[in-house]
Amino acid sequence: MEEKYSSNVLSGGKLGMVEVPNSRLTRYIVLLIVTKVLKALGIFESYDILKVVHIVQFIFILKLGSAVILLFFQKPFSSGKVISKRQWIKLLKHAVFSCVISLLGFFGLTLCGPLRTLLLFEHSDVVVLALLGVLFTSSGGGPSKTRGAALFIIAVICILLFDNDDLMAKMAEHPEGHHDSALTHFLYTAIAFLGVADHKGGVVLLVASLCLKVGFHTVSRKLSVEIGGAKRLYALDNLVSAIVLLPWVIVLSLTTESKVESWSALILPFGMIILSVMILEFYVEAICNTKMEAPRCARYGAIALFLSALLLANFWTHPLTDQLRSMSKPPQQVSTEHVLSGGVIVSAIFFIMSSSILSSPSKKGHKGTLVGYSPEGTPLYNFMGDALQHTSQSLPRFIKESLKQILEEYDSRQIFYFLCLNLAFTFVELFYGAWTNSLGLISDGFHMLFDCSALVLGLFAALMTRWKATRIFSYGYGRVEILSGFINGLFLMVIAFFVFVESVTRVLDPPNINTDMLTPVSVGGLLVNLVGICAFSHAHSHGGKSCSSNDHGNSHHGHSHSEHSHGGHGHSHGGHGHGGHGGHGGHSGHGSHGHSHGSGGGGMNANMRGVYLHVLADTLGSVGVIISTILIRQFGWLIADPICSLFIATLIFLSVIPLLKDACEVLLLRSPPENEKELNIALEKIEKIEGVLSFRDPHFWRHSANVIAGTIHLQIMADVVEQRIIQQVTAILKDAGVNNLSVQVEKEAYFQHMSGLSTGFQEVLAMTQQMESIKYLKDGTCIM
Amino acid sequence: MLPLSVKDDEYKPAKFNLLLKLSGWFRSILADKTSRNLFFFLCLNLSFAFVELSYGIWSNSLGLISDSFHMFFDCTALLAGLAASVISRWRSNDSFSYGYVRAEVLAGFVNGLFLIFTAFFIFSEGVERALEPPDVHHDRLLPVSVAGLLVNLVGIFVFHHGGHGHSHGEEGHGHSHSLFNGSVNHDHQNKHGGHGHSHDEHGGHGGHEGHGGHGHSHGGHGHDEPHRHDELHTPGKGSSKQILQGVLLHIIADTLGSVGVIISALLMQKYDLMIADPICSMLIALLIGVSVVPLLRESIGILMQRTPPSLDHVLPECYQRVQQLQGVYNLQDPHFWTLCTDVYIGTLKLLVAPDADRRWILSQTHHVFTQAGVRQLYVQIDTADM
Repeated sequence: MEEKYSSNVLSGGKLGMVEVPNSRLTRYIVLLIVTKVLKALGIFESYDILKVVHIVQFIFILKLGSAVILLFFQKPFSSGKVISKRQWIKLLKHAVFSCVISLLGFFGLTLCGPLRTLLLFEHSDVVVLALLGVLFTSSGGGPSKTRGAALFIIAVICILLFDNDDLMAKMAEHPEGHHDSALTHFLYTAIAFLGVADHKGGVVLLVASLCLKVGFHTVSRKLSVEIGGAKRLYALDNLVSAIVLLPWVIVLSLTTESKVESWSALILPFGMIILSVMILEFYVEAICNTKMEAPRCARYGAIALFLSALLLANFWTHPLTDQLRSMSKPPQQVSTEHVLSGGVIVSAIFFIMSSSILSSPSKKGHKGTLVGYSPEGTPLYNFMGDALQHTSQSLPRFIKESLKQILEEYDSRQIFYFLCLNLAFTFVELFYGAWTNSLGLISDGFHMLFDCSALVLGLFAALMTRWKATRIFSYGYGRVEILSGFINGLFLMVIAFFVFVESVTRVLDPPNINTDMLTPVSVGGLLVNLVGICAFSHAHSHGGKSCSSNDHGNSHHGHSHSEHSHGGHGHSHGGHGHGGHGGHGGHSGHGSHGHSHGSGGGGMNANMRGVYLHVLADTLGSVGVIISTILIRQFGWLIADPICSLFIATLIFLSVIPLLKDACEVLLLRSPPENEKELNIALEKIEKIEGVLSFRDPHFWRHSANVIAGTIHLQIMADVVEQRIIQQVTAILKDAGVNNLSVQVEKEAYFQHMSGLSTGFQEVLAMTQQMESIKYLKDGTCIM
Repeated sequence: MLPLSVKDDEYKPAKFNLLLKLSGWFRSILADKTSRNLFFFLCLNLSFAFVELSYGIWSNSLGLISDSFHMFFDCTALLAGLAASVISRWRSNDSFSYGYVRAEVLAGFVNGLFLIFTAFFIFSEGVERALEPPDVHHDRLLPVSVAGLLVNLVGIFVFHHGGHGHSHGEEGHGHSHSLFNGSVNHDHQNKHGGHGHSHDEHGGHGGHEGHGGHGHSHGGHGHDEPHRHDELHTPGKGSSKQILQGVLLHIIADTLGSVGVIISALLMQKYDLMIADPICSMLIALLIGVSVVPLLRESIGILMQRTPPSLDHVLPECYQRVQQLQGVYNLQDPHFWTLCTDVYIGTLKLLVAPDADRRWILSQTHHVFTQAGVRQLYVQIDTADM
């Protein structure tokens, strides 16, 4: 019932229609949360009680108590249809199973402690079913569900492996210590036979019984329909299980003597447990499941339960709570409290995350963008383009694909390899530092790690540039490259500034530097960085050759050595003059990104330039450290170090400026400087086209390395075919490098119209400067 | 009719005339309220830093010197904001045909980035100190940080006030792109109404009926009065919310920093809680980082020519309305982007039936998109059988 129901609501929720606003549900949510907190409290209490009361007795009392209360509320015998004999037999089976499951659950509780039990056992069916669906069916509901399942499993493993509970160790030492019954003993031996510590056995037991519970719930749905309602079934079930357990309890009480001093002191806690764990939770969950969707209910419930369990676990053994619960505290307690370990906290967090992921409705179909409304008033969604791109991807597949993409392209490959080298060096340094316990090495390692962030940024940008244009980013993501170069440049500037400041303070007060360890590390760093520089400037020098052979871009020089022509960041230092735009022609094999690399020759691949500068700065830093170390050692010039850093900071600063300037110009929508001359020539040509009166407002700007967008307005004579003009203009401008052009053609009628409307020439003149907004007389626009 | 090239010398004054240039800058700074505020606050900050520096050198205390350098670094944010607010008022020219309005976005972006850097450094330092709490001498810390706090409070007051005024629309930002942007004017925020624009050419506006109310989408600054632009840039309009937001964030971050230092100094003095300092700084770093994210997001979106978020939900409807026009077969290649705050530019391509009324379609299309708030629209109309 639950599953069907939930999927119904989900399909409604997808369209955003059935989703009831939170405000109306607030009281149910509050009720649910309160119930869950109470339940956590009850479980903690029952853990305490279970230390003195035998588990079977405990369950018997629980079942009996709740059966009495439920009989009183539900009146299963007086109301509803008569139950046949076959149904009674089914009910009996049902009750036996429920007894077994509660036995397992509460036995797990005695083994693992309340917090872990709550974390492991109290998952709602929705979550577990989603989990099982992911694990055992091929289409588990998308990558997000897979992620949730992975989180769940990680959480279980965390509890299983990383939870070093002292109590567990203690109990493992004398597992035969306080076994009260044959059942317990049997379970203990079973767990011991499996060869795990009993705490871990408890975890396994709980997970198994969780699966059993969910299966049991699923099966019992049919029976509940037959019996006439889940509530009636629950009441009867409790009654029958109490009856089933009765003989066992009698036998037990006859054979073993109870540890309980006074049963009367236990009445209150039992009553509370019965109320909170058995009855209140059942009713509230039923109500919330009807009022809200089951997944939502499960999510809130799980979060409330786990959080309250964490809190309770923290404060349960606190002296203050001991005073509050002064009722019956068995004496041996202090030694056997389960402690709150880091592993449990981590796994609790993972459980919360996974249950919220797993219980969230699958987002299929939700991601379409609203296109509008059909004539009948139903909303229309668009599932194309970015909607598809933004669906959550499977993580491993994502990693694999992005790795493939990285290796596909020369630039990103270069960055990636260098990043790997850098990271390896860093980790070696870190490990060695940790091993020899030298703080200097460790901090240097962290510094290296920080430096890697620039590389990561560059890599990410190089990947992102290749993303296809979406509805939102309609020009594509080419600008990421420029932005990343800009950020890297800024980054370097900040670093240079700080180095500068620090070296100034050091000049004033040269510290005594410990030089003995510096040299090997800095030599190592220097080597790594030199490799980087070689790698990056290798491309640079080749690119330089190919690009310098022809200065301006529109001539297609088809160089076959496409690899080498990329990424010449170094050019920027020499001359930004040559816009290697022609280079792109040769690169057609590379798709769009190929262009961007080729244009590095023109100083356009800001990304690579940024990365290169970063590496260069690092290298300079290493060189400076080595030189100053040598100077300090040989001559004892302590001042050498700050002076070196000053020098280096200035050098970095100066080398970054061109990059920043270029990036700024692009970001400020400057017309591309390397095309400026051609554009001017093109504009002159346009003016000479027959029929063109004039043009105005030519905007040309570089969007990314391979997109130059432009708009221009033309005034043409009345008797000219606009289409021809548009085509000519487009061709001319395309030759000049503009590949995203829109031409707005205005006929002379426009001016006549204007002068008819307004009286003076001045106004017409003014209006021509505001022509964008005159819509009616625009005769045609052309975008290429 | 080669336009605008004559004005080149206005934004590029002759190099030798430094004094003139400086005074020109000075005047343009003082002309606008935002940049004036920025400038005064920058002066205040700089003087504070210099006092600190000279006092530090005099008393030979390294802590003060490094703190003053820190202050200088902070000043860069203000400087960036100031520069942007001046630059964004420069005219457009041949190279920068859209004008320099983007500078404000860029300034916001740079400020945000700087803040992120700062937050990162503070955080890492906090972690370092949390692992190994150093012995902070808190004797001189307090007065310096209190003074810094005061300075920053002044800044917050000024800019919050300024921002407030800004929201009233007394800075109808983006007047500098008026040259090309014609009558699609930016003063939808112009609640004052009285800018002294003489709308004498209302006949000219007769052609514009289609533009009613571009302001609507911006949440009802509904002033669709399209008025004309005089070439002279009316001073008093200036920078956008991005600059202000960035600067304000920066100052708030500084203030938070001072507050944190003061609190932790007090805690250390009273209770000897050495851990208070790193925890405070980490919290502050987190706070800064979180508060910067929206600014960064927005400015990156603009810089990357993202479709304006405020149009996100309006555009599909517009597309649909355009597609429902009689004779329109299809709509392709829509590009919409933000030039600077609230100035949206768009291009799109329509495939129409051979016998369709192109002008009607064109005007309707423009009408639809202007209502959505798109300032500048280029529509290419292709006939289907071509």
